[in-house]
Amino acid sequence: MNIFISGGCKNGKSYYAQELARDMSREKSLPLYYLATMIPCDEEDRARIRRHLSERDGWGFETVEQGRNICDALGGFTLSGSKVSPEGVFLLDSVTALLSNEMFLPDGTVDGNAGERLAKELREFADRTGNTVFVSDYIYSDAQLFDEYTENYRKSLALIDRTLAAVCDQVIEVSYGFKYLYK
Amino acid sequence: MILIFGGAYQGKLEYALKNFGLDESDVYHCEEKGTLDLSHKVIYGLERFVLGCVREGKEAKDLLLEYGEALEDKIIIVTDISQGVVPIDPELRSWREMTGRAMLYLGSKAEKTIRIFCGLGQEIKC
Repeated sequence: MNIFISGGCKNGKSYYAQELARDMSREKSLPLYYLATMIPCDEEDRARIRRHLSERDGWGFETVEQGRNICDALGGFTLSGSKVSPEGVFLLDSVTALLSNEMFLPDGTVDGNAGERLAKELREFADRTGNTVFVSDYIYSDAQLFDEYTENYRKSLALIDRTLAAVCDQVIEVSYGFKYLYK
Repeated sequence: MILIFGGAYQGKLEYALKNFGLDESDVYHCEEKGTLDLSHKVIYGLERFVLGCVREGKEAKDLLLEYGEALEDKIIIVTDISQGVVPIDPELRSWREMTGRAMLYLGSKAEKTIRIFCGLGQEIKC
């Protein structure tokens, strides 16, 4: 079952998503993968990654580092060197980070079309795996007039969210422990 | 009156057209001015009308009250701008608050209120 989760920042989405993914893998006796989307660029990032790794310790996740070209993870390897099985259960946390990586490139250029491309890739990822929990962020209720890059980022993330919400079997909004099931 | 709200780019208009059997010709797109054109079934982007009210020194809720019965058969679509950081710009701050007051009023008058999340609707008053 593909599940899409979103909601505000620091709301408990990640923890809930971890529980859902773990339970799915136990029920179906499938390998459990964590798709690590952050590409570290300084010590602060590396510290955050270490904290996330220790938080997932004991949950049974195998980490797969994939900051771009997400479908490549399905033919790739885990951090411990085993081959990734597309039949496994995947936790993708987060779609938001993935879009940043695809849109804002290391050479300083911006790919304004990253949203459409990533929406297609993620739909393909959902189709090919069938057991993925996607986590995104609800960043659409600001009373600000943003610069064009930020506005395009929001618009692109919303396109991805709507695409995933349409194809996933379950869509859940998490707000501080309260969960609303849209479908 | 039906009130539909949700964050930016959530597919609010698409949802309304699809679920109420309407098309683009039924839609009035609000402009940044303190008056509404009531000749269409759907009033889309009410937050822009509110921004116009802020700039013209009017209170959006009072104008909506004056329109009264003329809004009864409308579908009103508003972007929820209430949940981000408080803007530094005083005009945007007023806009945010005035939109909230207008939505509270519309929410109390509406027979049905629907919140849109990633293209999916949640009926929060029906």
